[in-house]
Amino acid sequence: MDIFNALMHGFALAITPANLLWCLVGCALGTAVGVLPGIGPAVAVAMLLPITAKVDVTASMIFFSGIYYGAMYGGSTTSILLNTPGETASMVTAMEGNKMAKSGRAGAALATAAIGSFVAGTIATVIVTLFAPFVAEFAVKLGPPEYFLLMLLAFTTVSAVLGKSTLRGMTALFVGLAAGCVGLDQISGQSRYTGGIPELLDGIEIVLVAVGLFAVAEVLYAVLYEGRVVEEQNKLSRVHMTARDWKRSIPAWLRGTAIGTPFGCIPAGGTEIPTFLSYAMEKKLAKNPEDKAEFGTRGAIEGVAGPEAANNATVTAALIPLLTLGIPTSNTTAILLGAFQNYGIQPGPQLFTTSAALVWALIASLYIGNVMLLVLNLPMVGFWVKLLKIPKPQLYAGILIFATVGAYGMRQSAFDLFLLYAIGLLGVLMRRFDFPTAPVVVGMILGPLAEAQLRNAMSIGEGSPMVFFQRPMSITLVVIVVAVLVLPRLARYWSGRKAAG
Amino acid sequence: MTTSHSLAHEPSDLAAQDTAAVWPQTLVGAGVLLTGLALAFGAISISSEAGYGGVGPNFLPWLISIVLTVCGGWIIWEARSGGFRELDTPSGATRAYWPGFVWVSAGLLLNAALITTIGFIFSCTLCYLLAVQGLRRASGQPSGAVRTWGLDIVTGLLISAPVFWMFTQFLAINLPGLTATGWL
Repeated sequence: MDIFNALMHGFALAITPANLLWCLVGCALGTAVGVLPGIGPAVAVAMLLPITAKVDVTASMIFFSGIYYGAMYGGSTTSILLNTPGETASMVTAMEGNKMAKSGRAGAALATAAIGSFVAGTIATVIVTLFAPFVAEFAVKLGPPEYFLLMLLAFTTVSAVLGKSTLRGMTALFVGLAAGCVGLDQISGQSRYTGGIPELLDGIEIVLVAVGLFAVAEVLYAVLYEGRVVEEQNKLSRVHMTARDWKRSIPAWLRGTAIGTPFGCIPAGGTEIPTFLSYAMEKKLAKNPEDKAEFGTRGAIEGVAGPEAANNATVTAALIPLLTLGIPTSNTTAILLGAFQNYGIQPGPQLFTTSAALVWALIASLYIGNVMLLVLNLPMVGFWVKLLKIPKPQLYAGILIFATVGAYGMRQSAFDLFLLYAIGLLGVLMRRFDFPTAPVVVGMILGPLAEAQLRNAMSIGEGSPMVFFQRPMSITLVVIVVAVLVLPRLARYWSGRKAAG
Repeated sequence: MTTSHSLAHEPSDLAAQDTAAVWPQTLVGAGVLLTGLALAFGAISISSEAGYGGVGPNFLPWLISIVLTVCGGWIIWEARSGGFRELDTPSGATRAYWPGFVWVSAGLLLNAALITTIGFIFSCTLCYLLAVQGLRRASGQPSGAVRTWGLDIVTGLLISAPVFWMFTQFLAINLPGLTATGWL
């Protein structure tokens, strides 16, 4: 009942005209950045972070969250119509969705993606509502050793498990950690790696790294390598699902949600695994030979419905570790954490007591936002498709103007614009040589927090690392970290041996 | 070059491609290695005071420099022994289009150098103008004509001015202006 009352208070705060407007603008902007190539939710939120200096915290968090989950709706439109997934989350949607669009069923693919996103987003929001307070209550009992190990788990999965090459993932993570080290050490106040440059005493802004790595690097990469890439756009057909489409979609949505939600909840991030798992499951479960034959040929609707639902469920449920533990599991949640920090708020178990009004208004806005997005994405899909007509040179050059706002607006320093260019160059190299970027952002945001927890844990243990092995929860986490590192490798080794033998 | 092209390569072509990638990949490894060493050099001057069990302000810097140095060495080894493992073919063309890169870089760097002098609107318009010229050239769109330049200047102004007004007037974010009016 407490939860219900708290949620009702949240709704009361979220439906004030100003907050509703922020939510609508966030959802619309999110859909737009999801549709547009070259710009994703992480960079959109990063570019707009300067508004945290003036806009009220509840309004801006509602706005940023709208961009965050709105982009997932928009992303499917591009991957279905263009076959160029804007982000990894829509990769699977692109596989089947594009085939459906090619065989004249773009409308049905768009409808199942949007309604599936709504169903999954709403169910996952209910789960956030019901479970986040319990996780927060439990998390209060965790001490620095457990927090450090949870962050270590996030580092391990984001760098060593999710990417293809552990070596390149680790390199990216440690580059991010190094960037996070620049500035004053938060415990002793010593300056580190500032090189006598006063601008660096405050550290490197996350906005710079996110905007540099994603937006500026994207533009530089496009001009260097992708000028001549010509994209074919599929024709948009009427957004409509037949009774048979519904019958095939509903179970796929529910299965996708069931797969996606737990993946969002654990601090192990990434939408790749749940979306691929959902796709594999739908393919396996297709019994009707006619439906089965559609996979990979004409495009099967389950192959769009399941992964899209899984994707949205993961993204929404990822708010649980963010809000209750303060652990981001993706680029965008890392930047959302940065937004909280700009207000001097550290997400974590205390958030539900110290900033209860904010948290519940944010959760209430998720329900409202999902309804808004359904309306924005179904009847108005034709409008968003028009965005795909903006020529790339103009679009990419325009992105640079917004990048300037984000980078300059944060600290009013022209030095940051030079740094932005340098980070953009680093981003081009990383993309060309297949280094993942998420570990850089997560490492940079989470690195200083993990370091503080490590040092606090060591002082609790009076200098002995045994503190990580003596407490039941911490030893469990150590085992999980080791398992996450070792099990996939063992599985690969065994399957390799099986194949050889 | 699309993946379908690279799939059609003869084995000898693939071998040639791998050899071509050895040097760039080695350089990337060397870059990581040097970063690790530079960070180690910086870590020397950070004291270890206020730390338990050797975990003070210099612990993370040392850890980072050691790991990056090892990763750098490992990347070089991978590059010299058959190339990066598990490598996705990068998207787009195999050869870079450098003239376009120079245009966009000029736009970004001039923006950084001039923003406090000529104000956000003009500086960003200049950045847009140069960047769009580079991108037009890269995609083979018409670029040099006076009409195109004019069109790009107007488009740049039409994006930068409303963005400037929106952020300075409605969101009260400080962006540099040519005048103190908050409108230019």
